[in-house]
Amino acid sequence: MTKKINWLVLVTGLLTGAAAILLTAFGNPANMGFCIACFLRDIAGAVKLHSAPVVQYLRPEIIGLVLGSTIMAVATGEFKARAGSSPATRFILGGFVMIGALVFLGCPLRMVIRMGGGDLNAFVGLAGFFLGILIGIFFLKRGFSLKRSYEVAKSEAAALPGIMIALLVLLIAVPSIFIFSESGPGSKHAPLLISLAAALVIGGVAQKSRMCMVGGLRDAVMFRDFNLLSGFAVLFVTVLLGNIILGKFSGFSTYLQPIAHASQLWNLLGMVLVGWGSVLLGGCPLRQLILAGEGSGDSAVTVLGMIVGAAIAHNWGTAGSAASLTDGVYSAGGVGTHGKVAVIIGFAVLLIISVINIQRSKKEVK
Amino acid sequence: MNCYLATFHTHVGALVSNRSLGTAGLKTRMMPVPRKLSSSCGTCVRYEADQPRLDLMDPDLEAVYIISDDGRYDRIDVTDPS
Repeated sequence: MTKKINWLVLVTGLLTGAAAILLTAFGNPANMGFCIACFLRDIAGAVKLHSAPVVQYLRPEIIGLVLGSTIMAVATGEFKARAGSSPATRFILGGFVMIGALVFLGCPLRMVIRMGGGDLNAFVGLAGFFLGILIGIFFLKRGFSLKRSYEVAKSEAAALPGIMIALLVLLIAVPSIFIFSESGPGSKHAPLLISLAAALVIGGVAQKSRMCMVGGLRDAVMFRDFNLLSGFAVLFVTVLLGNIILGKFSGFSTYLQPIAHASQLWNLLGMVLVGWGSVLLGGCPLRQLILAGEGSGDSAVTVLGMIVGAAIAHNWGTAGSAASLTDGVYSAGGVGTHGKVAVIIGFAVLLIISVINIQRSKKEVK
Repeated sequence: MNCYLATFHTHVGALVSNRSLGTAGLKTRMMPVPRKLSSSCGTCVRYEADQPRLDLMDPDLEAVYIISDDGRYDRIDVTDPS
């Protein structure tokens, strides 16, 4: 049977890449038109879950992605309230995925956007991400499962979209209750309406196409099916061309890339943690937002776990720091001891979760 | 011989069922769930058999479809296989 590439996945990759370029042109940080990890981290800061002064902003992109998915799912009859698939374990996995992403300084989506911006460090991250996915697949093939979800009350499905609507109303009505960075990445953002509109569109098409970096690589490895992965190939090319056209591309390099560091071992290991954890969760951080938008209580809990993971990452200093050049003085940035220990603990926790949740005997799956 | 597609609540359910169908000598393979059937990004099993062979399915079975020659999926009523 021919494995067809779904045109909607390609369109989603194209639109996401174009939106990333557009949002950066309108004010978002460089190579960060979209970043689920960074933006959830900024939201955690805006609501004072952490107090890192340079990464606090209530990113409308997150609100738009969730609500775009909700609107599309409701319009097409796919909004389904489901939950009950090991929610506490998903919360913990979400937290460690976030800790790994913030060591690398980006989620899988930003990793591809960084690659399109010429950041060679992100290619190291991709290698780690792929390795993490292979580890996750190893356990999937041995019977790993977080067990099935069940139909639940509509209020479960409405929880995360409801929180997003509440945050949007508060942002417009009483913005003073939030903390907004005055310098650093958190201070750089596109106008609210542009961010929200772009994310609503991407959320809608991502729900329709199921675009997922983890699902893409998983399907490519396990089934030689490149459908979902093709969206990210288009995304990479779109971002690369967009940067070239706008004169923002200056070749591929590891040196002084925007909001990135060149500590390659930890770029690699951080993304191993993200890839492994995301396979166990069944989707990358972007996909978790989209699934939460279409009614998955399990994904909503995962997103909340990611927000708490982001708060921990900054309260306990596990996040990587970017390379910088200030007044002619170069700082390499990188990952501190806390970050390295957190990644190693993350591997231990993921190993325990992976082994404990093998649900079938060797005889059944071999 | 009919062509069927079985969807599951879990990946491991697809894995175990695929193995059972293969052990029974049926032509079978795992694949991503077709978008027209679900917005989830799970895995399913496509197989060829005279009957749906629910007896070989894992308890995490969600639904079985018969695939017509023109590629249409028609859901078969599935009684609890467990």
